[in-house]
Amino acid sequence: MATSQYKAIVIGGSAGSYAVVSKIVAALPPDFPLPIVICMHRLKHVRAGFVEALNDKSQLNVIEPYDKQPVERGNVYIAPANYHLFVEYDATLSLSIEEPHLFCRPAIDHTLSSAAKTWREKLVGIILTGANKDGAQGLKDIADRGGYTIVQDPATADVPTMPRAALRLLQPSAVLPPQGIIDFLKNIQ
Amino acid sequence: MDIKEFLNEFNKRCGYDFSDYSTNSISRRLTKICEEMGLSFEQILNMVVADKKLVQTIVEDITVNTTELFRDPAVWVAYAKVLPRQIPKQTMSTIWHIGCSKGLEVYSDLVLINELGLKDRCRVIGTDINPTVLDNAAKGVYPYRFNQCYVENFNTVMKSLDLNVPFDKYFAIDEAADTITVLPHLREQARFLRQDLVKDRAPFAYRVDIVFLRNVMIYFNEQLQLRVLSNVLEKMHDGALFIMGKQEDIPQPMKAILLRQGLFYKKIKSSWP
Repeated sequence: MATSQYKAIVIGGSAGSYAVVSKIVAALPPDFPLPIVICMHRLKHVRAGFVEALNDKSQLNVIEPYDKQPVERGNVYIAPANYHLFVEYDATLSLSIEEPHLFCRPAIDHTLSSAAKTWREKLVGIILTGANKDGAQGLKDIADRGGYTIVQDPATADVPTMPRAALRLLQPSAVLPPQGIIDFLKNIQ
Repeated sequence: MDIKEFLNEFNKRCGYDFSDYSTNSISRRLTKICEEMGLSFEQILNMVVADKKLVQTIVEDITVNTTELFRDPAVWVAYAKVLPRQIPKQTMSTIWHIGCSKGLEVYSDLVLINELGLKDRCRVIGTDINPTVLDNAAKGVYPYRFNQCYVENFNTVMKSLDLNVPFDKYFAIDEAADTITVLPHLREQARFLRQDLVKDRAPFAYRVDIVFLRNVMIYFNEQLQLRVLSNVLEKMHDGALFIMGKQEDIPQPMKAILLRQGLFYKKIKSSWP
């Protein structure tokens, strides 16, 4: 696969996804060529320690973005607790406290769908383990615009609801276990 | 008809200017409104002149009205610690909550002001573009079941401040009616006034000592952010405290005037404007 065909990675996950995301951000090299935007459901008032812990594990710079912050390689952006995270057309990130979607804020659908509009076929979208169907529509939007879509193999998911919901809605480019996802990402460079 | 044309026409017909809201956000909101109402832009524009209620609904749907008691408890704990220093001893000070929506942050602030014994030295004013949410704010009645986090946030803040204050000192919960009601003694201390931040100056004459502008400007483009901030800065005393949302930053040109201090910003003592 050509290496320069993508511009960004977006990842959505819920219950059980923290461990998988940890593995992913820990495995990627500091010169990983693409920015990563992650939307994970989390408890509303989980403190900043969540992001700091991921940052400690990673050679990339893991941050909670500020509103209107530009997306840049070398960074992993995590949706802040209690905010929706959107990708804007100019590849900046924007935040919103508008109503929860499927009882979730941040909502994975919002992040993935907006990223799909911005990066179209130059986007890789990944859905991980989780106990909610949020994210399935967003991943479908990525697939509909020609992006590359990966669903975590439900057999390897702590809670398979979210991968299954995605699989019901679309035929992804690949269904992979966590290690397979990591290998895929490493080969992108 | 595209979004720009719609917003121009909507402004001409209704007097609400959303043209400097950030593009993606406004288009998302408008798409949702059209879908839910089953109406096109043209149909909406044909109806708004005669149907004032529809205008209010649209304004309410465009502007995000999420508000929460003690949202981000850590911010309120930090605020309680600087608040007494920020209030001058001799005069009455003014605290301004911009884009206050249904008023829950105004009431959060008032709880702390009461607990810190500053009640007679502060006037707290909430402003918003939307008269419907301001009515709700002034009534002080909110749904309970989906908002149990209000109680959790309240308790977190009080505990962190070593204050032994029960929730029912300020609020009444009625589970059967599914309501949380602000008790009259607190409600009476709040003032709510209408202001369209995009075109109106502050609807009061006082200079302010503390400004809350949290999670409002995230919906504006930078041009509008700067315009709004200049108007707000004009109303602020030198040394006044400025409080934004947890994930917001001051636009670059204003960073020389509003200096970061911990979680908050302070207006420098200068000759501004």
